[in-house]
Amino acid sequence: MSKYHNFMQRSLSRREMLDICKGGFGSLAFMSLFGGLPLLGCERPKNNAASNLYLGPHYLPKAKNVIFLYMDGGVSQVDSFDPKPRLAKENGEDPRKKFKVDATQFDNVGKILKSPWEFTQYGNSGIPISELFPHIATCADDLAVIRSMTSNFPEHTNANYFLHTGSGIQGRPSMGSWMTYGLGSENKNIPGYVVLDGGLVPPGGLDNFKNGFLPASYQASIFKSGPEPVANIVPKEDGANLQEQKLDFIKQMDQSLISKMGEEDAVESAISNYELAYKMQTSIPELTEFKSESEATKKLYGLDSDDPHKKGYASQCLLARRLVERGVRFVELTCPNISGFDRWDQHSNLKNGHERNAHAVDQPIAGLLKDLKSRGLLEETLVVWTGEFGRTPFAQGANGRDHNPSAFSMWMAGAGIKGGTIFGKTDEYGYRVVENPVTIHDLHATIMHLLGINHEQLTFRFGGRDMRLTDVHGHIIKDVLA
Amino acid sequence: MLVLQSSCSSSGEYTEPLPEIVDFNFHIRPILVQNCYLCHGPDPSSRKANLRLDNLEGATALLEDGGYAIVPKKSSKGLLIRRINHTAEDQIMPPPESNLKLTPRDKALLEKWIDQGAQWKDHWAFIQPTTTANANDNNVIDAFIDKRIEEKGIEKMPTADKNTLIRRVSYLLTGLPPSPTAVENFIANKSDLAYEQLVDSYLNTPAYGERWARHWMDLTRYAETKGHEFDYTITGAWKYRDYLIRAFNDDIAYDQLLKEHLAGDLLENPRYGKEDGILESPLGTAFFAMGEGTHSPVDIRQDEADRIDNIIDVTTKTFQGLTVSCAKCHDHKFDPITAADYYAFYGVIESTRFSPIPAELSKDKKQTVQEIEGLQTYMRQMLADSWSDKAKSIQAQHSIKDKQVPSKDTPNYKVIGDFRNSDFNGWKSNGLGFGNGTTLGNPILDKNTEKLIRLDEGRASSKAMGLSIFGALRSPNFVIDTDFIGIRALGVKSTIRIVVDNFQLIQNPIYGNLTRGINTPEWNNHTFNVASLKGHKAYIEILPGGYNRHDYSLPEDAFIEAEYAIAYDEEWPKTIGNDREPNAIGVSSQLVKTVNKQLKKGQLPSQFPALKVMIDSSERLAKKLKSNSFFYGVYDGFAINSPIFNRGSYKELSEDSIPRRFLSALPLGDIPYSAAGSGRLEMANAMLNKDNPLTSRVMVNRIWHHLFGKGIVETVDNFGLQGKLPTHPELLDFLAINFQEEGWSIKKMIRQIVVSEAFQRSTIRSEELAEKDPTNIYLASFPVRRLESEAIRDALLSVSGNLDTTLYGKPIATHLTDFMQGRGRPATSGPLDGGGRRSIYQEVRRNFLEPMMTTFDRPMPFSTFGKRNVTNVPSQSLIIMNDPFVAKQAELMAQQLLAAANLSFENKVNWVYMKTFSRSATADEITKAKTFITMLQNRKEQELPKGLDKETSIWTTYCHSIFNLKEFIYLI
Repeated sequence: MSKYHNFMQRSLSRREMLDICKGGFGSLAFMSLFGGLPLLGCERPKNNAASNLYLGPHYLPKAKNVIFLYMDGGVSQVDSFDPKPRLAKENGEDPRKKFKVDATQFDNVGKILKSPWEFTQYGNSGIPISELFPHIATCADDLAVIRSMTSNFPEHTNANYFLHTGSGIQGRPSMGSWMTYGLGSENKNIPGYVVLDGGLVPPGGLDNFKNGFLPASYQASIFKSGPEPVANIVPKEDGANLQEQKLDFIKQMDQSLISKMGEEDAVESAISNYELAYKMQTSIPELTEFKSESEATKKLYGLDSDDPHKKGYASQCLLARRLVERGVRFVELTCPNISGFDRWDQHSNLKNGHERNAHAVDQPIAGLLKDLKSRGLLEETLVVWTGEFGRTPFAQGANGRDHNPSAFSMWMAGAGIKGGTIFGKTDEYGYRVVENPVTIHDLHATIMHLLGINHEQLTFRFGGRDMRLTDVHGHIIKDVLA
Repeated sequence: MLVLQSSCSSSGEYTEPLPEIVDFNFHIRPILVQNCYLCHGPDPSSRKANLRLDNLEGATALLEDGGYAIVPKKSSKGLLIRRINHTAEDQIMPPPESNLKLTPRDKALLEKWIDQGAQWKDHWAFIQPTTTANANDNNVIDAFIDKRIEEKGIEKMPTADKNTLIRRVSYLLTGLPPSPTAVENFIANKSDLAYEQLVDSYLNTPAYGERWARHWMDLTRYAETKGHEFDYTITGAWKYRDYLIRAFNDDIAYDQLLKEHLAGDLLENPRYGKEDGILESPLGTAFFAMGEGTHSPVDIRQDEADRIDNIIDVTTKTFQGLTVSCAKCHDHKFDPITAADYYAFYGVIESTRFSPIPAELSKDKKQTVQEIEGLQTYMRQMLADSWSDKAKSIQAQHSIKDKQVPSKDTPNYKVIGDFRNSDFNGWKSNGLGFGNGTTLGNPILDKNTEKLIRLDEGRASSKAMGLSIFGALRSPNFVIDTDFIGIRALGVKSTIRIVVDNFQLIQNPIYGNLTRGINTPEWNNHTFNVASLKGHKAYIEILPGGYNRHDYSLPEDAFIEAEYAIAYDEEWPKTIGNDREPNAIGVSSQLVKTVNKQLKKGQLPSQFPALKVMIDSSERLAKKLKSNSFFYGVYDGFAINSPIFNRGSYKELSEDSIPRRFLSALPLGDIPYSAAGSGRLEMANAMLNKDNPLTSRVMVNRIWHHLFGKGIVETVDNFGLQGKLPTHPELLDFLAINFQEEGWSIKKMIRQIVVSEAFQRSTIRSEELAEKDPTNIYLASFPVRRLESEAIRDALLSVSGNLDTTLYGKPIATHLTDFMQGRGRPATSGPLDGGGRRSIYQEVRRNFLEPMMTTFDRPMPFSTFGKRNVTNVPSQSLIIMNDPFVAKQAELMAQQLLAAANLSFENKVNWVYMKTFSRSATADEITKAKTFITMLQNRKEQELPKGLDKETSIWTTYCHSIFNLKEFIYLI
């Protein structure tokens, strides 16, 4: 690591630049001093098979890491961040007499349904937030709420793929994969892209987190709670030091192979890979134990809650902080599995379902924002809170809401974000966007921008095209940037 | 490995001197493609300054602002050279904002090429291969390779030792390590032919087909479920896998294989299995059905476009090495592939229909069908003859009557299909169930008296020949323009579906109303409300049996019959007139009614003892036609020509439709298909046309890639302008021509390559060689290769003695870990060791892919992956270090080792080495093993793997360590 310390102070020689461009451990070390120089003058390779290579930012980043709080199933915007008094006035009336109703997933259009929750304005900014999120509300001045999100798909799986990969079709690389492909991880002993499985894998399955056509090194590592947080991370050897002795033996034998064969990059990398794997066996379990965390911190997140789902989500949020603290690039949290109310997908019984889900995530999320802030981590961490789409302002059946991709609310907080902002506007029913529509591509472009990546330039050649997370779309949402 | 070195360079030097003759294809086009074609390429929509540099006419035309980009032979006169050397930011090309920059060498090449005359050539891959080499000469392959090696002045590495060779050949041909006996035999065989015999023996083991079928499955995105939200089963996908294994083992010619993939259902002379006589060809079409399937998409038309796009992508990459899918929104930016080409192809797939297909049709069955049809015709003829006089008068009566029928009112409904006459009214009868006509006029006997009671009235019946015979009756395409579709039908455990925009995964929510289980033995009017789908294209599907979570099955007693299908608004019409003219061969339904009246009155003779015999015999024959095993493939539909979707959106259609045809840049590409159906057979024939420059090259390059780890064209799925240039173009052409001359035999091609000297060279490289050819382009040594995921897992099973070599059959259920969660998760997990079966037989569930397979780079099944990534990640090490499957194989191996009687320590180590590395251990390795084992012996028993006696746990630990050596997962 120290090899590159010095030239941080001066401009790079061509030779040094070349070394960095070639990747491998040299650039890995360089990038671990992240926050220094953008790699100007270093042309990005069109493709490279070297699995551990990543490319470095295009320009000075605002954010180092992303925590993506995925509100699986679709939170209702008119019940959370986008108050619509007109719904109360016209509660029970036929929506089709008011506006054109699009085809919905369940084709069971009921009456206009007012929000069961009151909204209050919070903080200096006065952002209105419903009773569902009393804790998040206390962070109102840190949030940039976008009320004009849109998706292209009204069904979960396509919308999930779209949100995660920029395409509604299965098999594309996830945004976390793109970010790690672009920037790598700052921590050599922990993977750069981590999904904390809170109990529910979103519809579309693990493909939401896969590497698609990018090399497998960029797929998410799934962390679960329990004794083995990552697959095969716990050594199975019983005896003390037995694994070490085995690895010593293996190393000896591998070394003699190398001396027989002569220099062979691939084999040598595979050998050093074992050292990394070995270290992960201790670094990862250490991460998932909260021994070093104070009671106050645990309480802040709600780890003392009687609600097992809140407690579970609280530990995921705390773990997320510990991961970004250690330089993990992209962390996604999936939702808790609340039996009977899985996710935010309340096609019926909106009141109960949204309340149960909100109760589980509200305090842990607020705890996370506050904890990050008090540690100075919020300045370098982008927190993204969104579902895959919103919900209809009219009922599905009597008391549910169907999917609505035409308008929904999300928020971002932290690095590079202008807190206390509201951006975009929906109609009086919260059904469609009327001002400043934001697409999923725009969201991706903005996240990448904050990380120092030009979304038009981070490409990977596949099937004859230079593929991008944002395909041929995407505009940075400048109004929410600090 | 990295391509960065050169691209980072920005200084003035270039090491390699300019070639004497600058070649457009090899030197100039790559520069233009990378730097110029985004704005000056074949796509007019993105063209700037109206300048195109993809052909001579464009590059030498008078520019808008005067002057010429290129003046051949006079580089200084053209604007191109001036602009690329310009210093002003707003003048230099490529412009700074493109982030593209020409190197000094690029510029010098362009200049020299223009001065030499700016000779344009077609892209190399579009020029037909030619060769001067004579296949009868020895070592043609080596001659081509040696020529390049000599040109570069590098030294060839010697032949590898026999242990290395047998391990290499065994793994690359069969995906398994050689058995210790095979190694000993090969070492002992001192004959000059020993190596060739070895190659032949591996080519002839069934394991060869298992290995090479898996290579092919990477191209066709093989999976057994549809992924998306609920990961539904793809009916009988594994039968396609078995079909491939048989095809590779039987060395079915590649042209046949290609034809079967594209049009196996349409071949005039389909192929039957060598041993079992079962129809093979249609199984190839399962590859169309291997794609993802969307659960309840709201935009069903877009979903169709996405499905078809995937098929076009996979088909063109796999067979032509072209990325036609890039032309979905606009003409291809680089290749001569137009959006019209794409939509000409789109129509082909749009005219193709997905369907379950019976898997066990045989030649015998075809014969049986003919016999039954013969009997039925004979019976009708016999009756007609015996009533001839009477019949004539009835016929005459009815010709008059028939003409009186048409009513003057316009009916308030439309007939989509009427089966009350003898034919299916233009519908397609797929499979055997419905036969080739309705039941009209079939004799019906009294069960007791065996007297003829009446003639059957017309209806389409899936038991036209007998029960549980598969068939599907499908209407022509129509556009929905009424609120309702109605079908008069009866049946048991059967199904009617309205297939809208070819969407197959019909179910709730949204589309549940488009499928109906038919389970009433009385006639019913079945109504489908399609009001919300007006304007969509649709067809009706009537079939016995049904789909359970989209997996088709046909119960023994299932059947379905239908009289007619109509489209209407409001009420079901009171009467549905049947005023169709009887066709030339058939009787009319009116005639049958009259005959029946007369039969009832006893006005016609009704004693026909022969009838009973013939009916019995027909029923007996029909039993042979039963089907209970299916795969998902395709049948032809009705021809649809698609308009172009402007910017890829079906909401913006071009006015004209594009006739279905092949790619316009390739031979036969300008001739529209004439088939009444999809045109898939014509497409296959165009690919196999002797002038097609791609088909053969692409396939021999794939074979080369699998043997050398890198293709002659490295981008195996892309031979277009953005693909890599061939490293050995003459060799590629020779192989492509030879492949065709040798009857497209894949085995012969493999053999020819494997017996070359180049293939047999050692992997050990001199320092000088490593420096002169760091990426091993010239093959002076054999490349070191990591084994694929399947080979690693299969080797673990093989060396532990736990490998079950059973061929074929249903997939082994996926072993589910806690990390594999989500919708559609199977209720139960499969066995940890996959039943000891080879990896190719392990289930491929899209949403629950096996972690060991994906971690070691088996591609995700969504597109064509002719070339796998080779990554190096800690999760790979963690699997071999800590996964219980691997540990278990070590234990089994140790037990097997200790069961072998009386082995000395040295022999124990050698036993392990022979199994895992196909060689004996060196003295040093034995010493190190001794030290390691002694150390283990000194441990307390509880500090070793538990549940085993100490000796076994020690050797388990040793074997597990051996699995972790790089030599285990690399071909050294």
